[in-house]
Amino acid sequence: MSDNALTMEISSEWGGAEIAVLKVSGFLDFSGIAMLSRFFDKIAAGNWSYIVVDLAELEAICSAALGEFMGYRKRFVERGGSLVFAGLSGNIRSKLTLLGANKIFSFYQDVRSAINAYKWDYKKQSKSVAISFPAHLALVPPVRQFASRLVRQKGYSVKDAFRVETIVDEVCNNAVEHGIDEPGSAVDVRIAVDKEKIDITVSNKSAPDKVAVLRELTKPQAQGSNHVGTNDKRGRGLALIRMLSNDMDVNITEHGTTVHVTKLREE
Amino acid sequence: MDLTFPYTISVRLPSDLEIIPSIRKFVSEVLQVSGFSAKFAFRSEIIVDAICNNAITHGSSGGVDGEVELSCVIHGDRLEVVVRDNGGSSADIERLKEAVRRTRLGLPLPDYDSGGMGLEIVKLLSETIDINVDENNVTSIHVVRRREDV
Repeated sequence: MSDNALTMEISSEWGGAEIAVLKVSGFLDFSGIAMLSRFFDKIAAGNWSYIVVDLAELEAICSAALGEFMGYRKRFVERGGSLVFAGLSGNIRSKLTLLGANKIFSFYQDVRSAINAYKWDYKKQSKSVAISFPAHLALVPPVRQFASRLVRQKGYSVKDAFRVETIVDEVCNNAVEHGIDEPGSAVDVRIAVDKEKIDITVSNKSAPDKVAVLRELTKPQAQGSNHVGTNDKRGRGLALIRMLSNDMDVNITEHGTTVHVTKLREE
Repeated sequence: MDLTFPYTISVRLPSDLEIIPSIRKFVSEVLQVSGFSAKFAFRSEIIVDAICNNAITHGSSGGVDGEVELSCVIHGDRLEVVVRDNGGSSADIERLKEAVRRTRLGLPLPDYDSGGMGLEIVKLLSETIDINVDENNVTSIHVVRRREDV
Protein backbone atom coordinates (compact mmCIF):
# COMPACT_ATOMS: atom_id res chain seq x y z
CA MET A 1 0.00 0.00 0.00
CA SER A 2 1.30 3.47 -0.86
CA ASP A 3 2.23 5.88 1.96
CA ASN A 4 -0.32 8.30 0.55
CA ALA A 5 -3.20 5.80 0.57
CA LEU A 6 -6.39 7.21 2.03
CA THR A 7 -7.27 5.92 5.51
CA MET A 8 -10.01 6.93 7.90
CA GLU A 9 -10.64 6.15 11.53
CA ILE A 10 -13.39 7.17 13.95
CA SER A 11 -12.71 7.67 17.65
CA SER A 12 -15.05 8.79 20.38
CA GLU A 13 -12.83 8.80 23.47
CA TRP A 14 -12.45 12.54 23.76
CA GLY A 15 -14.86 13.09 26.63
CA GLY A 16 -18.42 13.77 25.58
CA ALA A 17 -20.98 11.32 24.20
CA GLU A 18 -21.84 13.72 21.39
CA ILE A 19 -18.27 14.15 20.11
CA ALA A 20 -16.65 12.01 17.42
CA VAL A 21 -13.26 12.52 15.81
CA LEU A 22 -12.76 11.36 12.22
CA LYS A 23 -9.08 11.12 11.34
CA VAL A 24 -8.49 11.35 7.60
CA SER A 25 -4.97 10.57 6.33
CA GLY A 26 -3.39 10.44 2.87
CA PHE A 27 -4.85 11.74 -0.40
CA LEU A 28 -8.55 12.56 -0.36
CA ASP A 29 -9.31 12.82 -4.06
CA PHE A 30 -12.45 12.05 -6.04
CA SER A 31 -11.94 8.29 -5.64
CA GLY A 32 -12.02 8.62 -1.84
CA ILE A 33 -15.48 10.16 -1.68
CA ALA A 34 -17.23 6.79 -1.52
CA MET A 35 -15.10 5.88 1.53
CA LEU A 36 -15.85 9.24 3.12
CA SER A 37 -19.54 8.66 2.55
CA ARG A 38 -19.39 5.22 4.25
CA PHE A 39 -17.67 6.69 7.30
CA PHE A 40 -20.17 9.51 7.56
CA ASP A 41 -23.03 7.01 7.32
CA LYS A 42 -21.49 5.25 10.37
CA ILE A 43 -21.17 8.56 12.22
CA ALA A 44 -24.73 9.56 11.31
CA ALA A 45 -25.98 6.23 12.68
CA GLY A 46 -24.45 7.08 16.06
CA ASN A 47 -25.65 9.80 18.39
CA TRP A 48 -22.72 12.08 17.68
CA SER A 49 -23.53 15.65 16.78
CA TYR A 50 -20.17 17.41 17.00
CA ILE A 51 -17.68 16.03 14.52
CA VAL A 52 -14.02 16.99 14.49
CA VAL A 53 -12.31 16.04 11.24
CA ASP A 54 -8.64 15.58 12.08
CA LEU A 55 -6.66 16.52 8.97
CA ALA A 56 -3.18 16.49 10.55
CA GLU A 57 -2.05 13.68 8.24
CA LEU A 58 -3.99 14.67 5.16
CA GLU A 59 -1.73 15.11 2.12
CA ALA A 60 -4.23 16.59 -0.36
CA ILE A 61 -7.94 17.23 -0.75
CA CYS A 62 -10.08 17.76 -3.85
CA SER A 63 -12.83 20.36 -4.09
CA ALA A 64 -15.47 17.65 -4.54
CA ALA A 65 -14.56 16.22 -1.10
CA LEU A 66 -14.94 19.67 0.39
CA GLY A 67 -18.43 19.82 -1.09
CA GLU A 68 -19.21 16.50 0.62
CA PHE A 69 -18.03 17.87 3.96
CA MET A 70 -20.36 20.85 3.49
CA GLY A 71 -23.32 18.51 3.07
CA TYR A 72 -22.37 16.49 6.17
CA ARG A 73 -21.87 19.67 8.17
CA LYS A 74 -25.43 20.74 7.40
CA ARG A 75 -26.67 17.40 8.74
CA PHE A 76 -24.85 17.87 12.07
CA VAL A 77 -25.87 21.51 12.42
CA GLU A 78 -29.48 20.33 12.13
CA ARG A 79 -28.76 17.98 15.06
CA GLY A 80 -27.62 20.97 17.11
CA GLY A 81 -23.92 20.33 16.60
CA SER A 82 -21.38 21.05 13.90
CA LEU A 83 -18.52 19.70 11.82
CA VAL A 84 -15.13 21.37 12.18
CA PHE A 85 -11.59 20.83 10.88
CA ALA A 86 -8.52 20.40 13.09
CA GLY A 87 -4.77 20.00 12.62
CA LEU A 88 -4.59 21.42 9.10
CA SER A 89 -1.10 21.79 7.63
CA GLY A 90 -0.20 25.14 6.08
CA ASN A 91 -0.70 23.71 2.61
CA ILE A 92 -4.16 22.26 3.25
CA ARG A 93 -5.25 25.35 5.17
CA SER A 94 -4.21 27.58 2.24
CA LYS A 95 -6.08 25.44 -0.24
CA LEU A 96 -9.26 25.32 1.84
CA THR A 97 -9.05 29.07 2.47
CA LEU A 98 -8.71 29.73 -1.27
CA LEU A 99 -11.84 27.66 -1.80
CA GLY A 100 -13.65 29.78 0.80
CA ALA A 101 -14.04 26.91 3.29
CA ASN A 102 -12.91 29.12 6.18
CA LYS A 103 -16.18 31.04 5.85
CA ILE A 104 -18.18 27.87 6.50
CA PHE A 105 -15.99 25.65 8.67
CA SER A 106 -14.09 26.49 11.82
CA PHE A 107 -10.40 25.57 11.70
CA TYR A 108 -8.57 24.55 14.88
CA GLN A 109 -4.91 24.00 15.61
CA ASP A 110 -5.51 20.47 16.90
CA VAL A 111 -8.30 18.14 18.01
CA ARG A 112 -7.99 19.22 21.64
CA SER A 113 -8.55 22.87 20.70
CA ALA A 114 -11.61 21.92 18.64
CA ILE A 115 -13.11 20.02 21.57
CA ASN A 116 -12.27 22.83 23.98
CA ALA A 117 -14.11 25.23 21.65
CA TYR A 118 -17.12 22.89 21.63
CA LYS A 119 -17.21 22.73 25.42
CA TRP A 120 -16.91 26.50 25.59
CA ASP A 121 -19.62 27.23 22.99
CA TYR A 122 -22.13 24.47 23.58
CA LYS A 123 -21.55 23.33 27.17
CA LYS A 124 -20.77 26.77 28.62
CA GLN A 125 -17.71 25.29 30.29
CA SER A 126 -15.45 27.77 32.04
CA LYS A 127 -11.68 28.02 31.73
CA SER A 128 -9.76 28.87 34.83
CA VAL A 129 -6.19 29.92 35.42
CA ALA A 130 -4.63 30.19 38.88
CA ILE A 131 -1.60 32.37 39.52
CA SER A 132 0.40 32.58 42.73
CA PHE A 133 2.91 35.42 43.06
CA PRO A 134 4.94 37.01 45.88
CA ALA A 135 3.18 39.92 47.57
CA HIS A 136 4.99 42.73 45.79
CA LEU A 137 3.41 45.66 43.96
CA ALA A 138 5.85 45.40 41.03
CA LEU A 139 4.28 42.07 40.05
CA VAL A 140 0.70 43.34 39.91
CA PRO A 141 0.92 44.92 36.40
CA PRO A 142 1.89 41.62 34.69
CA VAL A 143 -0.97 39.87 36.51
CA ARG A 144 -3.58 42.46 35.54
CA GLN A 145 -2.35 42.50 31.93
CA PHE A 146 -2.55 38.73 31.84
CA ALA A 147 -6.17 38.91 33.04
CA SER A 148 -6.98 41.41 30.30
CA ARG A 149 -5.37 39.29 27.58
CA LEU A 150 -7.11 36.15 28.84
CA VAL A 151 -10.61 37.65 28.63
CA ARG A 152 -9.89 39.28 25.25
CA GLN A 153 -8.69 35.94 23.97
CA LYS A 154 -11.96 34.35 25.12
CA GLY A 155 -13.93 36.82 23.01
CA TYR A 156 -14.75 39.58 25.50
CA SER A 157 -14.73 43.21 24.35
CA VAL A 158 -11.93 45.70 24.94
CA LYS A 159 -14.22 47.49 27.41
CA ASP A 160 -14.86 44.33 29.43
CA ALA A 161 -11.16 43.48 29.34
CA PHE A 162 -10.23 46.94 30.58
CA ARG A 163 -12.71 46.67 33.44
CA VAL A 164 -11.41 43.24 34.41
CA GLU A 165 -7.87 44.59 34.30
CA THR A 166 -8.86 47.44 36.63
CA ILE A 167 -10.63 45.07 39.03
CA VAL A 168 -7.65 42.68 39.17
CA ASP A 169 -5.31 45.61 39.67
CA GLU A 170 -7.30 47.01 42.58
CA VAL A 171 -7.90 43.71 44.33
CA CYS A 172 -4.28 42.60 43.98
CA ASN A 173 -2.94 45.97 45.11
CA ASN A 174 -5.14 45.69 48.20
CA ALA A 175 -3.94 42.14 48.82
CA VAL A 176 -0.31 43.23 48.65
CA GLU A 177 -0.81 46.38 50.67
CA HIS A 178 -2.98 44.94 53.44
CA GLY A 179 -1.64 41.40 53.42
CA ILE A 180 0.92 40.06 55.82
CA ASP A 181 4.38 41.49 55.26
CA GLU A 182 6.72 38.54 55.67
CA PRO A 183 9.12 36.74 53.33
CA GLY A 184 7.42 34.10 51.23
CA SER A 185 3.92 35.53 51.57
CA ALA A 186 2.01 35.08 48.34
CA VAL A 187 -1.10 36.38 46.64
CA ASP A 188 -3.25 33.75 44.93
CA VAL A 189 -5.38 34.83 41.99
CA ARG A 190 -7.87 32.61 40.21
CA ILE A 191 -9.62 33.82 37.07
CA ALA A 192 -12.45 31.67 35.71
CA VAL A 193 -13.96 32.74 32.40
CA ASP A 194 -17.05 31.35 30.73
CA LYS A 195 -19.20 32.69 27.91
CA GLU A 196 -21.27 34.89 30.19
CA LYS A 197 -19.10 35.99 33.09
CA ILE A 198 -15.69 36.26 34.65
CA ASP A 199 -15.08 35.21 38.26
CA ILE A 200 -12.03 36.63 39.96
CA THR A 201 -10.89 35.31 43.34
CA VAL A 202 -7.91 36.82 45.14
CA SER A 203 -6.64 35.39 48.44
CA ASN A 204 -3.82 36.44 50.73
CA LYS A 205 -2.70 36.03 54.32
CA SER A 206 -3.79 38.97 56.46
CA ALA A 207 -1.67 40.73 59.03
CA PRO A 208 -3.42 39.95 62.37
CA ASP A 209 -3.23 43.61 63.47
CA LYS A 210 -5.04 44.73 60.29
CA VAL A 211 -7.97 42.31 60.48
CA ALA A 212 -10.18 44.65 62.52
CA VAL A 213 -9.48 47.59 60.16
CA LEU A 214 -10.19 45.46 57.11
CA ARG A 215 -13.48 44.27 58.60
CA GLU A 216 -14.48 47.85 59.31
CA LEU A 217 -13.72 48.89 55.74
CA THR A 218 -15.74 46.11 54.22
CA LYS A 219 -18.73 45.86 56.58
CA PRO A 220 -22.18 46.33 54.99
CA GLN A 221 -22.69 50.03 55.85
CA ALA A 222 -19.28 50.86 54.39
CA GLN A 223 -20.07 48.80 51.29
CA GLY A 224 -23.37 50.60 50.86
CA SER A 225 -21.70 53.93 50.33
CA ASN A 226 -19.71 54.61 47.22
CA HIS A 227 -18.91 58.10 48.39
CA VAL A 228 -15.30 58.95 49.00
CA GLY A 229 -14.52 62.35 50.46
CA THR A 230 -12.90 64.84 48.10
CA ASN A 231 -9.92 65.23 50.41
CA ASP A 232 -9.42 61.49 50.80
CA LYS A 233 -6.30 60.42 48.95
CA ARG A 234 -6.93 56.70 49.36
CA GLY A 235 -9.81 54.30 49.72
CA ARG A 236 -11.30 54.40 46.23
CA GLY A 237 -10.35 50.83 45.38
CA LEU A 238 -13.36 49.00 46.83
CA ALA A 239 -15.79 51.64 45.54
CA LEU A 240 -14.26 51.33 42.08
CA ILE A 241 -14.48 47.53 42.12
CA ARG A 242 -18.15 47.71 43.17
CA MET A 243 -18.82 50.14 40.34
CA LEU A 244 -17.13 48.00 37.68
CA SER A 245 -18.37 44.59 38.77
CA ASN A 246 -21.72 42.87 39.21
CA ASP A 247 -21.02 41.19 42.52
CA MET A 248 -18.35 41.41 45.17
CA ASP A 249 -17.84 39.40 48.32
CA VAL A 250 -15.07 39.86 50.89
CA ASN A 251 -14.29 37.22 53.48
CA ILE A 252 -11.83 38.18 56.21
CA THR A 253 -10.60 35.74 58.82
CA GLU A 254 -7.55 35.61 61.08
CA HIS A 255 -5.93 33.38 58.48
CA GLY A 256 -6.45 35.55 55.48
CA THR A 257 -8.63 37.57 53.18
CA THR A 258 -10.47 36.31 50.11
CA VAL A 259 -12.12 38.69 47.68
CA HIS A 260 -14.46 37.27 45.06
CA VAL A 261 -15.67 39.48 42.23
CA THR A 262 -18.05 38.57 39.42
CA LYS A 263 -18.15 40.55 36.21
CA LEU A 264 -20.85 39.77 33.65
CA ARG A 265 -20.22 40.09 29.92
CA GLU A 266 -21.56 43.42 28.73
CA GLU A 267 -21.11 43.25 24.99
CA MET B 1 11.08 48.19 47.79
CA ASP B 2 12.99 45.94 45.42
CA LEU B 3 11.97 42.41 44.67
CA THR B 4 13.93 39.90 46.71
CA PHE B 5 15.46 37.04 44.75
CA PRO B 6 14.82 34.19 44.43
CA TYR B 7 11.06 34.15 44.16
CA THR B 8 8.55 31.85 42.52
CA ILE B 9 5.59 32.52 40.27
CA SER B 10 3.25 29.55 39.80
CA VAL B 11 0.55 29.20 37.20
CA ARG B 12 -1.98 26.41 36.88
CA LEU B 13 -3.46 26.46 33.40
CA PRO B 14 -5.94 24.34 31.46
CA SER B 15 -4.68 21.99 28.72
CA ASP B 16 -5.59 24.39 25.98
CA LEU B 17 -3.09 25.60 23.41
CA GLU B 18 -5.04 28.83 23.02
CA ILE B 19 -3.92 30.04 26.41
CA ILE B 20 -0.17 29.72 25.85
CA PRO B 21 0.43 33.10 24.16
CA SER B 22 -1.05 34.90 27.18
CA ILE B 23 1.04 32.81 29.59
CA ARG B 24 4.32 33.32 27.80
CA LYS B 25 3.70 37.06 27.59
CA PHE B 26 2.97 37.07 31.33
CA VAL B 27 6.31 35.39 32.08
CA SER B 28 8.09 37.87 29.85
CA GLU B 29 6.54 40.83 31.67
CA VAL B 30 7.38 39.34 35.07
CA LEU B 31 11.02 38.99 33.99
CA GLN B 32 11.16 42.56 32.73
CA VAL B 33 9.74 44.05 35.94
CA SER B 34 12.35 41.91 37.76
CA GLY B 35 15.17 43.68 35.93
CA PHE B 36 15.91 41.21 33.16
CA SER B 37 16.53 42.53 29.65
CA ALA B 38 13.89 42.46 26.92
CA LYS B 39 16.13 40.04 25.01
CA PHE B 40 16.33 37.64 27.95
CA ALA B 41 12.58 37.94 28.48
CA PHE B 42 11.83 37.25 24.82
CA ARG B 43 14.07 34.18 24.73
CA SER B 44 12.53 32.90 27.95
CA GLU B 45 9.11 33.38 26.37
CA ILE B 46 10.14 30.97 23.63
CA ILE B 47 11.25 28.37 26.22
CA VAL B 48 7.94 28.67 28.09
CA ASP B 49 6.01 28.43 24.84
CA ALA B 50 7.82 25.30 23.69
CA ILE B 51 7.61 23.30 26.91
CA CYS B 52 4.01 24.29 27.65
CA ASN B 53 3.10 23.30 24.09
CA ASN B 54 4.73 19.90 24.60
CA ALA B 55 3.01 19.42 27.95
CA ILE B 56 -0.41 20.18 26.52
CA THR B 57 0.02 18.33 23.24
CA HIS B 58 1.73 15.17 24.52
CA GLY B 59 1.40 15.13 28.27
CA SER B 60 -2.15 15.85 29.28
CA SER B 61 -3.52 12.41 29.94
CA GLY B 62 -6.43 14.12 31.69
CA GLY B 63 -7.74 14.67 28.16
CA VAL B 64 -9.19 18.02 27.26
CA ASP B 65 -9.96 18.74 30.91
CA GLY B 66 -6.39 18.21 32.07
CA GLU B 67 -4.18 20.85 33.63
CA VAL B 68 -0.56 21.91 33.37
CA GLU B 69 1.48 23.56 36.13
CA LEU B 70 4.12 26.11 35.31
CA SER B 71 6.57 27.38 37.94
CA CYS B 72 9.15 30.06 37.29
CA VAL B 73 11.81 30.44 39.94
CA ILE B 74 13.45 33.80 39.34
CA HIS B 75 16.96 34.23 40.69
CA GLY B 76 19.12 37.32 40.29
CA ASP B 77 21.30 35.55 37.73
CA ARG B 78 19.04 32.92 36.17
CA LEU B 79 15.56 31.67 35.48
CA GLU B 80 14.37 28.17 36.30
CA VAL B 81 11.27 26.98 34.50
CA VAL B 82 9.45 23.84 35.65
CA VAL B 83 6.46 22.53 33.71
CA ARG B 84 4.53 19.62 35.15
CA ASP B 85 1.76 17.68 33.40
CA ASN B 86 -0.29 14.58 34.10
CA GLY B 87 1.84 12.44 31.81
CA GLY B 88 1.03 11.22 28.35
CA SER B 89 1.05 7.77 26.81
CA SER B 90 4.04 5.57 27.59
CA ALA B 91 5.20 6.11 23.99
CA ASP B 92 5.10 9.89 24.48
CA ILE B 93 7.06 9.63 27.73
CA GLU B 94 9.70 7.36 26.20
CA ARG B 95 10.00 9.72 23.25
CA LEU B 96 10.44 12.69 25.56
CA LYS B 97 13.06 10.89 27.68
CA GLU B 98 15.00 9.95 24.56
CA ALA B 99 14.78 13.51 23.25
CA VAL B 100 16.10 14.92 26.54
CA ARG B 101 18.89 12.30 26.67
CA ARG B 102 19.99 13.20 23.14
CA THR B 103 19.73 16.90 23.90
CA ARG B 104 22.04 16.48 26.91
CA LEU B 105 24.56 14.54 24.82
CA GLY B 106 24.40 17.08 22.02
CA LEU B 107 23.02 14.52 19.59
CA PRO B 108 20.46 15.43 16.94
CA LEU B 109 16.89 14.48 17.71
CA PRO B 110 15.30 11.61 15.77
CA ASP B 111 13.26 12.63 12.75
CA TYR B 112 9.81 12.34 14.28
CA ASP B 113 6.73 12.37 12.10
CA SER B 114 5.63 15.74 13.35
CA GLY B 115 7.09 18.59 15.36
CA GLY B 116 10.19 17.87 17.41
CA MET B 117 11.63 21.38 17.03
CA GLY B 118 10.48 22.54 20.45
CA LEU B 119 13.19 20.83 22.50
CA GLU B 120 15.86 21.75 19.93
CA ILE B 121 14.96 25.40 20.42
CA VAL B 122 14.85 25.04 24.22
CA LYS B 123 18.30 23.41 24.07
CA LEU B 124 19.67 26.36 22.09
CA LEU B 125 18.27 28.89 24.53
CA SER B 126 19.06 27.24 27.87
CA GLU B 127 21.89 25.77 29.92
CA THR B 128 20.27 22.61 31.24
CA ILE B 129 17.18 20.51 30.56
CA ASP B 130 16.10 17.75 32.93
CA ILE B 131 13.12 15.46 32.97
CA ASN B 132 11.52 13.60 35.82
CA VAL B 133 8.69 11.08 35.55
CA ASP B 134 7.20 9.82 38.81
CA GLU B 135 5.41 6.53 39.48
CA ASN B 136 2.09 8.08 38.42
CA ASN B 137 3.55 9.29 35.11
CA VAL B 138 3.45 12.91 36.30
CA THR B 139 6.11 14.43 34.09
CA SER B 140 8.24 17.47 34.97
CA ILE B 141 10.56 19.31 32.65
CA HIS B 142 13.10 21.55 34.36
CA VAL B 143 14.97 24.14 32.31
CA VAL B 144 17.57 26.64 33.50
CA ARG B 145 18.53 29.74 31.55
CA ARG B 146 21.30 32.02 32.81
CA ARG B 147 21.28 35.76 32.55
CA GLU B 148 23.74 37.01 29.94
CA ASP B 149 24.39 40.50 31.25
CA VAL B 150 25.81 39.65 34.72
